[in-house]
Amino acid sequence: MTTALASGVDEGGALAQPRARIQKIVLSNFKKFETLTLDFDPLLNIFAGGNEAGKSTAMLAIDLALSASRSKVEALGVEALMRKGAVEAFVAGGKKPDALPVFFVEVYLSDFPDHDLCGRCNSLHVDTFGLRLSCEPSDDYAEEIKQLLAEDGDNVPFEFYAIKFHTFAGAPYNGHSRPMRHLLIDGAQIDADHAQREYTRALYRSHASPSHRGGHENRYRQAKNAFAAEHLAELNAQLDVKFQARSSSKSNLESDLQIVEAGVPLESRGRGRQALVKTEFALARGRGAKSEAIDALLLEEPENHLSHISMRKLLDALAAAGGKQLFISTHSSLVCARLDLRKVIMLGGSGKPTTLRSLDKPTADFFCKAPDNYVLEFAMSSKVILVEGDAEFILISALYESCSQSTLARDGVHVIAVGGTSFKRYLALAEVLKVRTAVVRDNDGDYQRHCVDNYDGLLGNQARVFADSDNRRSTFEICVYEDNKELCEELFAPGRRTLSVKDWMLDNKAEAALALLERSEGRLSVPDYLREAIEWARQ
Amino acid sequence: MGKTVIFAVAGSGKTTRIVEELGKGQRCLVFTYTEENVLNLRRKIVQRYGGLPAGVRVMTYFGFLHSFCFRPAAGLRTRARGISFADAPPAGRYNASQESYFMDRGGRLYHERLAKLLIDRGLAEDARARIDRFFDLVCVDEVQDFAGHDFNFLMGLSGIRADMLLVGDFHQHTYDTSRDGSVNKNLHAGFSGYAKRFRDAGIEVDTSSMAHSRRCSAAVCSFISDRLGIPIGTLSERAASVRDVTSQDDADALWRRPDVVKLFYQSHSKFGCASQNWGASKGEDHYDEVCVVLNPKTLALHAKGQLSTLPSGTLNKLYVALSRSRGDVHLVPQKLLERYKSG
Repeated sequence: MTTALASGVDEGGALAQPRARIQKIVLSNFKKFETLTLDFDPLLNIFAGGNEAGKSTAMLAIDLALSASRSKVEALGVEALMRKGAVEAFVAGGKKPDALPVFFVEVYLSDFPDHDLCGRCNSLHVDTFGLRLSCEPSDDYAEEIKQLLAEDGDNVPFEFYAIKFHTFAGAPYNGHSRPMRHLLIDGAQIDADHAQREYTRALYRSHASPSHRGGHENRYRQAKNAFAAEHLAELNAQLDVKFQARSSSKSNLESDLQIVEAGVPLESRGRGRQALVKTEFALARGRGAKSEAIDALLLEEPENHLSHISMRKLLDALAAAGGKQLFISTHSSLVCARLDLRKVIMLGGSGKPTTLRSLDKPTADFFCKAPDNYVLEFAMSSKVILVEGDAEFILISALYESCSQSTLARDGVHVIAVGGTSFKRYLALAEVLKVRTAVVRDNDGDYQRHCVDNYDGLLGNQARVFADSDNRRSTFEICVYEDNKELCEELFAPGRRTLSVKDWMLDNKAEAALALLERSEGRLSVPDYLREAIEWARQ
Repeated sequence: MGKTVIFAVAGSGKTTRIVEELGKGQRCLVFTYTEENVLNLRRKIVQRYGGLPAGVRVMTYFGFLHSFCFRPAAGLRTRARGISFADAPPAGRYNASQESYFMDRGGRLYHERLAKLLIDRGLAEDARARIDRFFDLVCVDEVQDFAGHDFNFLMGLSGIRADMLLVGDFHQHTYDTSRDGSVNKNLHAGFSGYAKRFRDAGIEVDTSSMAHSRRCSAAVCSFISDRLGIPIGTLSERAASVRDVTSQDDADALWRRPDVVKLFYQSHSKFGCASQNWGASKGEDHYDEVCVVLNPKTLALHAKGQLSTLPSGTLNKLYVALSRSRGDVHLVPQKLLERYKSG
């Protein structure tokens, strides 16, 4: 079964034309980003990156702008959302009122029939569709702001900021006039009481039309009143003040709803199951009444709380979710690779976000089907040594230290063990991501054929292949033995009866490597091609 | 359909003509000057279709000008925040290259110069492109209200790909969308010159298809044609008359009747009865009987058979007042009602 989203859609054939799509977001002074522009795929976008890379921030920005909820922004706090650097620059710049920091989030949308969303009211001044959340000092409080700024210290008058939601036509919009329906499912907050309620509410609203909801609420209130009339009447008859069932915004159908699976409330299930059910529930619609369906689904770290098997199940569900635009933030190579590597947006580091969009399809398909992979680990590194097997992996750290007088961690060099057939796939990734990649491999008896001709045209400036050029030194073990004969004989000769030390090492690669690591006491000399690889990689 | 302006007579179904056009599945933009007429249009559309048909948008002219044309095109590069209906500074204080010519200190754009701003800054081109992006047909009701820079802007819209249907009644010109000094000052001076402006802009002028009133009786129409000199035919077969009221008793009786609206030249509210002013009664179309109150000057001209010599503004308002009735019209000298006047 293929789980690649793109192929799933192709097989689906007559997929309805998507209703609304986010094409791009532009952030300014929002959380950690001074500016950030991300272009999106109409169906699937995967945010990857290390901790603090801004994955959740990108999701939050989309959620806030689409929700058009002032109270949601207020709950987070203007100060917390404003980039610290912008505030510091303002204070350092002498606190001039016209230089007060401003943040905004712009969501650029695909074509709508409605001109109310279309115009140049965006930072790019392009005539297109979209929504803009901005937070700036309110003109109505110019005097108060001036007074506060005149005081000493670094007091920034965030209390007098206005939170505005405008379309690109310059028209205000609110939660009721949402042109795009979206739902955020946050794996990290899956069991928080508040998040649970919010989720239930959002899901109910996305499944029930306003007229349905009005009807439900009305019936529910009638039922409460009927209950009171029938069961409280006797009690009330004896009292001066009466009891009545409460009906208010805090006590109505929406606040009383819960999601139940097989008769068990969702909040009573395990976290993993909750995450899975919520996602599947959100994905379920979209083929029915179009106006009610969710257009965009935002999943925060869906791998949280999920076992490997549940994860596979979730990935299958996601891959089959045609029609919705998915945004997924993840730490998991599995999530990235199984869905479609080309849809990954790498955040973090110092540079601009990179995408794997230009990766060729065979490579993306390879990682999709590969038994296990280290795609994210590779992508998040700037310098990588790729090795062929376990033995090299076990020894490389020691070898690195002995020839560099430094450590892998200190130099920021990552070592990844991949099967020999995967080298070319990683080299394609390295090309797209500009990762400095040293491939260390055996010559397998034909240096020219295996290690030179084989990679012809695949190596840019950022990748090189290192192998021993002597065809007789065909494997790593042979090289190690030849360069450390004395040490190996000393360590491994005792107890050998039929096999030579070299043959024993070839038959027990991992064991030999571990023994060398533990007992060589720094006497190991490094084969030349490995030394070259290490020196090149750490530059 | 192309681009057409239909000059219609009172009660010939101008608004209905637009409403019919909206049911053909096209994306239609409808605008008109007054809020009242927007409400009127909306009401008729809802009556006809049970709601606003998909793709149809109805707005006031200044809503169109500001929210549809200006704001989306100006983007974030303007400090303008809304529109001002106060008078712009007089000509000569600022020149058109200065911001203060178009905008007050609070950032509000002077309504009478907003059309000029769009034209001057090349934003009219954006507006045309925007119309063509979202609409197949533009309808304008009460087109005779367009004046000043607004008329120029409207003529400029004829460059759009979308069809245009403009309807109006030259003789019901009682309001101006705006005025700015001498701009188009003599626009409404004569019909032939007025109609030529539309032709010059490539808009076909139709004076025949709505030359007959469905509302006004033969008696009212011939009174308007003969006495006021405003041509109007009729399709109404209702027997009705235009009657001069001369006795105090008859005037008192009319004053007491709540079902007969008394239409005054001005200050109708001082007379303590069911009333309205001539000009402001435009658009009202549900009266079976009206009482048009003639002020002394108008009465004198009426007596001499010289109503057509009234100043055009007054003449047009009188025409509006007379043409409200589906049936009888009573002409009452204002002096017979003076006794009810307060304040």
